[in-house]
Amino acid sequence: MMAATGTFTRNPKSFSHSRHAPPPPGLKIGPNGTPIVSTGIQDLDQLLGGGVPVGSLIMVMEDSEAPHHLLLLRNFMSQGVLHRQPLLYASPAHSPRAFLGTLPAPIPPRTHLHTPSQQQEEDLRIAWQYKKYFGNEQMFVESHRGNHWDFCNEFDLRKSLDRQLLGAAHIDCVNLQDVEDLASLRDRCSAFLAPFARTEEGITCVGRVAIQSFCSPQCRYSNSDWDMLFFIKSLRSMLRSSNAVAMITFTPSVVSSSSVCMRWQHLADTLLSLRTIPDDDKEMAKLLTDYQDMFGLLHIHKVGRLNSQVPVILEATTYSLKVIRRKTLVLERLNQAPVDASGGGSLGGCSGSSSARLLDF
Amino acid sequence: MADLVCRGLRDGVLEGEYAPALLIKDTLQISLGVHVFNHFLLSLSSNISSGKAQSRGLVVVAFACPPCFYVDLLRSRGIGVASLSNWIRIVDCYSDPLGWKDKLLNSGFSAQLSSKSHDKSSVGDVECLFRDVGDAEKLSSLVFDLGRGLVGPGKGRFSVAIDSASELLRHTSLLSVSSLINNLRSHDQVASLFWLLHSDLHEPRAILSLEYLSSMVAGLEPIASPSTDAQRNHHNHLFQLEQNSRRGKLHMRLKRRNGRVKILFEEFDVEQGGIKFVPVSLGNAIRNDAILPKVQFNLQLTDKERGDRAKVILPFEHQGNGEDIKIYDGRGPIADAPKNIFPTPRLDESASATITTSSNGGKGEIHYFRDSDEEALDTDEDPDDDLDI
Repeated sequence: MMAATGTFTRNPKSFSHSRHAPPPPGLKIGPNGTPIVSTGIQDLDQLLGGGVPVGSLIMVMEDSEAPHHLLLLRNFMSQGVLHRQPLLYASPAHSPRAFLGTLPAPIPPRTHLHTPSQQQEEDLRIAWQYKKYFGNEQMFVESHRGNHWDFCNEFDLRKSLDRQLLGAAHIDCVNLQDVEDLASLRDRCSAFLAPFARTEEGITCVGRVAIQSFCSPQCRYSNSDWDMLFFIKSLRSMLRSSNAVAMITFTPSVVSSSSVCMRWQHLADTLLSLRTIPDDDKEMAKLLTDYQDMFGLLHIHKVGRLNSQVPVILEATTYSLKVIRRKTLVLERLNQAPVDASGGGSLGGCSGSSSARLLDF
Repeated sequence: MADLVCRGLRDGVLEGEYAPALLIKDTLQISLGVHVFNHFLLSLSSNISSGKAQSRGLVVVAFACPPCFYVDLLRSRGIGVASLSNWIRIVDCYSDPLGWKDKLLNSGFSAQLSSKSHDKSSVGDVECLFRDVGDAEKLSSLVFDLGRGLVGPGKGRFSVAIDSASELLRHTSLLSVSSLINNLRSHDQVASLFWLLHSDLHEPRAILSLEYLSSMVAGLEPIASPSTDAQRNHHNHLFQLEQNSRRGKLHMRLKRRNGRVKILFEEFDVEQGGIKFVPVSLGNAIRNDAILPKVQFNLQLTDKERGDRAKVILPFEHQGNGEDIKIYDGRGPIADAPKNIFPTPRLDESASATITTSSNGGKGEIHYFRDSDEEALDTDEDPDDDLDI
């Protein structure tokens, strides 16, 4: 993987000092040499630069009108179970164990016939007269799809995960309604994360923490905003000193003040937000090509990078959530529907009562 | 449409899911929430008593009106009169919510106070007096007991209507009300529930929390937005007051199972006989620009288009495929190019080359007109070669 040109490359740290030990499943080296794990959604992994850095915190801002955050959580947890990564799951529902029954099963890998053509597409096609000067030198292409089935599975949302697999997995469930105060929850988390503390020997196992709807109004601590912020901050510091990843979802509208909400967002390493879209909305159907297939929007506010000061700036930050053939979750860029040249006048006419146009270019 | 909501309440809940919960909210400007609440109550009651609904009983928690009001309302509409006690129970939190009358009576002032509060009205079975509204857990266990009493301990389901959650929020905290509603929704035997809220009495956080917990939100809005012109304000104000006391607009947001939100608008008119809903054509577009970013056209190619693009022969000397360099000078056809190239009269030396590509079903055609004939054939020189560095 060393390029022939003299550009600066960082030597990826080996997983363990003894080179004979295989790397733990579900872990690979990502940008800037950080170990990363998968979120369970291939498109999301790609957008985040391959996966989630170990030791970071993903914050998901829910929309109070839609349950899309459950999809993200399910894929995240399922991926952890498949890679035999211990999981701590906290939720305000009556029985968090019941949610485990809805985790999706993986789709068995098929042979990928189109990978070589994808490689070609990513190479720059040079079509000008200086092409004769370029010999065998190729542009450096990072192969995303090399062995991606080991790292990130595709999940079938219609089927649930094998019971035996669930039974064998190490999953701790916490009911957030029973939590009296956050100090006990913090102790629970630190007890869970203790086996994953970072040591000299490298990473042997990665843990996952999933907290759903952390600030639900029926939880006893939901009035004490500063306690919740303190909990998140201490969880993040625990994550930094251990080999684990955490995903927390919360509803920004239920948090009492906007300043607390802003602080909450700033505590995240990777910040995503979900929006719902109106049903049977003719205006939106005219505006977007895939309106019928999609059921929500995912917006990426921040992508976490643990050992780099270079921010990640994505080309597009809003993606549509779609379920292909009712099976797999994909994220796609929003595309505008072709605007009918003759229809421009009628569009302006019928929306005369509304204020400015929906979008301005 | 309001019918959609009524149907949602009637159909109840599917196995393993939370019960549908409707929140009706009104404001001081348009305080007709009670009428809307009664409308839904009546429609659900008629469905229950005629057996069309999933739930077989209804428990009404009455804060703002005495139980006899509801009984009279049902009687006046002729709903299930004969067998009221079979399917409805009313928790009376109106007469003595905090137990003060009871305490006063017990502490010896009984001579002055009439004991009217102890009289049960004629439908004694239906009512149940509750004296401790500060304790939401007690209230919820009472509701569960009454409901189970109505439908039996098995798989039967019942619905719950809370007259005014605003009153409940006055007595207990938001936390208790949220957990009460959450417990009701997740209970095995509850089919649906709905409640009324006066949104200007509470902090925004309380309202948003309750909206978060509900699956349908019906908000009442005035029909005309308040006029901003100061001079006509007085006239308009009175006119609006009068209008808003009878008519209004209902803005409904229904959370659907596929994750989308159905947004509906209807106008309603409160009349003697009841309330009438009229669907409104959406003249005002819902502002979506807050949700969507700037959306680009799709610039990505499908696989077929990519293949077609790869097949196009470029008009440059080096095709990069290792063949001998053939200089094409626009005069005659080359062996492997499509045959559509015809020589054009050369207008002047500075005619610029035009290259047009058009893909007709996979074939690329390129019309390449060379700049001028006077240039040497081998124009493959690198212009930078002239530099003496």
